[in-house]
Amino acid sequence: MQAGGLAFQQAPPLAVPLRFFLTAPVFLFLAGLLLFTPGAAGWQRGSPAILAAVHLVTLGFLAMTMMGAFLQLLAVVAGAPAARPRLLAGLVHGPLAAGTLLLAAGFWLSRSWPFYPALALLAAAVATFVLAAAASLVRAARNATVLAMAAAIFALAVTLALGLALGATHIGWGGLRGFVATVDLHAAWGLLGWVFVLVAGVAYQVVPMFQLTPAYPRWLTRSLVPVLMTGLLALSWARRDGRAWPQGAAALVLAVCLLVFALATLDLQRRRRRRVSDVTLDYWRVGMVSLAAAGLLGLFGTAGAPGHRLPALLGILFLYGFAVSVASGMLYKILPFLAWFHLQSQLQAPAGSIPNMKAFLPEPRARRQFVVHVAALGLLLLSALLPGPWRYLAAAGVCASALLLAANLWGVWRLFRAQGGRSN
Amino acid sequence: MVDARWLEPPEPMQRVLHALETRAGGQRLRLLIHREPYPLYDLLDARGIEWRRRALADGCYEVLIGGQVRGA
Repeated sequence: MQAGGLAFQQAPPLAVPLRFFLTAPVFLFLAGLLLFTPGAAGWQRGSPAILAAVHLVTLGFLAMTMMGAFLQLLAVVAGAPAARPRLLAGLVHGPLAAGTLLLAAGFWLSRSWPFYPALALLAAAVATFVLAAAASLVRAARNATVLAMAAAIFALAVTLALGLALGATHIGWGGLRGFVATVDLHAAWGLLGWVFVLVAGVAYQVVPMFQLTPAYPRWLTRSLVPVLMTGLLALSWARRDGRAWPQGAAALVLAVCLLVFALATLDLQRRRRRRVSDVTLDYWRVGMVSLAAAGLLGLFGTAGAPGHRLPALLGILFLYGFAVSVASGMLYKILPFLAWFHLQSQLQAPAGSIPNMKAFLPEPRARRQFVVHVAALGLLLLSALLPGPWRYLAAAGVCASALLLAANLWGVWRLFRAQGGRSN
Repeated sequence: MVDARWLEPPEPMQRVLHALETRAGGQRLRLLIHREPYPLYDLLDARGIEWRRRALADGCYEVLIGGQVRGA
């Protein structure tokens, strides 16, 4: 393995990431459905429908796609493929999918019984993934992306531990002190430590590679993740002890990290070498603008700005505007690339005898889905600010966008199969 | 000669594969590219085609493919 680059000899079979990628949009669709329900009105973050929808997005869509991509990255970026990838994918994917559905059901129905199997399944899936990923990363080449992957795995483990403690308290087991503080920390470790850090680490590789930009500056790739992780540890210490000013300082550092990364990425994209239209690039831009906006709102929040709508706007911007956008954009790049690459390798095909990468996912179809996604994002933001029919339109937009995404991804797989590709 | 500098993946690989099939009599191919094409090395190895690469002063790479070159 050559550090700093990508190598494919040890890439897992296509079936390993594929099962994660093809099922993820289903959960996004279900989250959209929940936004139609009366419980979602008002965007209260503790309301059953919102809690269910948020976990469908974070576990069902984001963790699902990120874990699938992570297994691929372990091989091609870290040079340390997970052992027995098919078995691992099975042990993680099934329990993650079932656990997410049960957890969402438990929240939405406000019943205790689904939490028991949900917590057991999610603990099994995430712990298996964390242990397998950690065992691989120990053997990995050292570069900024690998260090970010390791930090993200650590954050995922913390998120799981906090989530299990919250879940157990929710159904009446044990008495967790500082429930609200733990909810905040669970969200902070999950969204910033796991989602943001992994996206940043992956961006160091894929933004220059696929968007033909200059490399990220060294000061950024060296310092961003360590500073952010230090901020998260400081926030955890301050929040648990209820210390006001260290909490504000830590939150400030975290918001600045989001802003710096978003602005640096937008600047690189502005300086890209080839100015061709590309849906993935546009998805990343929407993601970075949303991330910068979330960072700015976070700054206002730490400055004590009033506004009960702030948490809803922050959540929509970070989850749907940033994370779902970037994950969707990456799916549009990763899946056609893998389909083309595996077909090429399997068939040893002469040039021109198999479809090129763009034929696996025609640009107009991807573009149509992107437009619906951006419209859904706008409607979600409007619905958090204004009463009225906006929430229903936003819910319809999220559902339509998820269905189109699913159709596009399944289309890649269908063409792969039709060309004689084997996913195992 | 294939100049694949600043082309989006996997176009450089597609161009190389096309050039390999259309070259005359096992002629050696020279590829210029803006980053190391690791996936291409795998495909060349799988097909038993020898290659050698050299980093250029401007940060790009030159890869010599086929003919009598040894893998680097």
